[in-house]
Amino acid sequence: MTATTYQPGEIQGLIKIDASKCKGCDACKKFCPTNAIEGASGAAHSIDQDKCVGCAQCLVNCPFNAIEETHSAIETVIKKLADKNITVVAIPAPSVRVAIGEEFGLGTGSLVTGKMYGAMNKAGFRIFDCNFAADLTIMEEGSEFIHRLHATVKGDPNAGALPQFTSCCPGWVRYLETNYPSLLPNLSTAKSPQQMAGTVAKTYGAKIYDMEPEKIFTVSVMPCTAKKVEASRPEFNDAWKYHKEQGSRAAEYPDVDAVLTTRELAKLFKMLDIDLASTPEYKGDSLFSEYTGAGTIFGVTGGVMEAALRTAYKVLTGSEMAKLEFEPVRGLKGVKEASVTLFDNELSQNVTVNVAVVHDMGNNIEPVLRDVMAGTSKYHFIEVMNCAGGCINGGGQPIEGTGSSWLGNI
Amino acid sequence: MSKKSYLFAEDSFFLSRRKFIAIGAAFAAALALPVGWFSSKLERRNEYIKARTEGLYKDDAIAKLRVSHANPAVEKYYKEFGGQPLGHLSHDLLHTHFVDRTKLS
Ligand code: SF4
Ligand code: SF4
Ligand code: SF4
Repeated sequence: MTATTYQPGEIQGLIKIDASKCKGCDACKKFCPTNAIEGASGAAHSIDQDKCVGCAQCLVNCPFNAIEETHSAIETVIKKLADKNITVVAIPAPSVRVAIGEEFGLGTGSLVTGKMYGAMNKAGFRIFDCNFAADLTIMEEGSEFIHRLHATVKGDPNAGALPQFTSCCPGWVRYLETNYPSLLPNLSTAKSPQQMAGTVAKTYGAKIYDMEPEKIFTVSVMPCTAKKVEASRPEFNDAWKYHKEQGSRAAEYPDVDAVLTTRELAKLFKMLDIDLASTPEYKGDSLFSEYTGAGTIFGVTGGVMEAALRTAYKVLTGSEMAKLEFEPVRGLKGVKEASVTLFDNELSQNVTVNVAVVHDMGNNIEPVLRDVMAGTSKYHFIEVMNCAGGCINGGGQPIEGTGSSWLGNI
Repeated sequence: MSKKSYLFAEDSFFLSRRKFIAIGAAFAAALALPVGWFSSKLERRNEYIKARTEGLYKDDAIAKLRVSHANPAVEKYYKEFGGQPLGHLSHDLLHTHFVDRTKLS
């Protein structure tokens, strides 16, 4: 059997170069984090799918619109929305609310949560904000970090590995799985917010919605194409496994049924004649639209770390951080670092936690990983996001902040 | 002029033509992406990154609650269903495992 980097059932070849449109200009190579793009200057390029993490940074930066996605769930989602027996649940990521307005003529970066909810409601979705799941991620991933930290300080030989890496970016996770398998124990075992949301929508959510889980169709809306590949991982059917253990005999279903990018959600709204810009604001329809400021900043580089520190500080010291904005992890520097010294109630001593934040993975991650491999890393907790700036600049976002490719088809 | 040198001249003509085609291809690429394309692209990119970043920081700043552990819906989830972070149900539903992709076939 030939080697592959895909598990059975996973989407392969999501991002493809159309050789007839490619001018061989090499722009995509400069934006590819994994050196997956092959081809000489001036000749048509192609993507090595085994190296590719599906992030579409090449796609959004190709000046000739020569790169395309091979999977779209728009038609399927529209069919499900028309089916009255199905509850279709939209799971919008943080970054969607500051970008989808661009597709409807609103300014770059406009925050349109209420209008987005309104348009989703009009289209027939229930709303399960992925930001709620981001808050849940912080509870799990933060607790996990504190657990590893305490076990390490106490000298427990089975303490989980430090530094702990964040695990919410599927581009980064696939990269590590493909290139540095020896570092997998360092990844937080917490699922990404998308995957937590899908699982919760079909377990606890089935109670809240009073629906049979197999009649709930979960549609995550992501700034990210790699999230499509993530949702297709065969192990992500935990809601089905849970209900099976409870005696359900329903046929297998995934936790996340479909993934739309921000661009695709805008297209779906347009196909359904919904103008987001003129849609009145809507507040949401269940506890799953309640989220905090910590959940929403997951979309920017440093945001997961900042959110985690806010909660870890409270758990360790018993009091809230005096100033919630944690400036050292903000901004566009490739690798940001910070040290936080705090009094740990459980250990009755001061502890210093060293954190690092890496984005624009292809340009910044290697030295960090080399240190971790060599055992010389000074960090305890490292956030990694594949895309420059974080998910707000993901490969599924409106192109160039204007909703259209800057050169179009030449 | 000897026949030989004539052949040589012809040879060198074809050589330079091939070279010319190669240069032409590179030139086409250079035309496609003018000098400075990359840096101006990065500049524009960083502008929309900043605009969207501001949008999310604003969402945080205006939020009534700004820390995950204070989300009442999250509290409700654990109380009515999930138990506690890292608990049994969290292990089954909210955590995962990873795959060594160098060993797949
Ligand atoms: S950026 Fe687009 S046109 Fe240029 S080499 Fe890559 S795929 Fe081809
Ligand atoms: S999708 Fe991402 S990893 Fe794949 S070729 Fe494009 S830039 Fe590279
Ligand atoms: S940084 Fe965000 S948008 Fe980019 S690949 Fe990772 S999860 Fe997707």
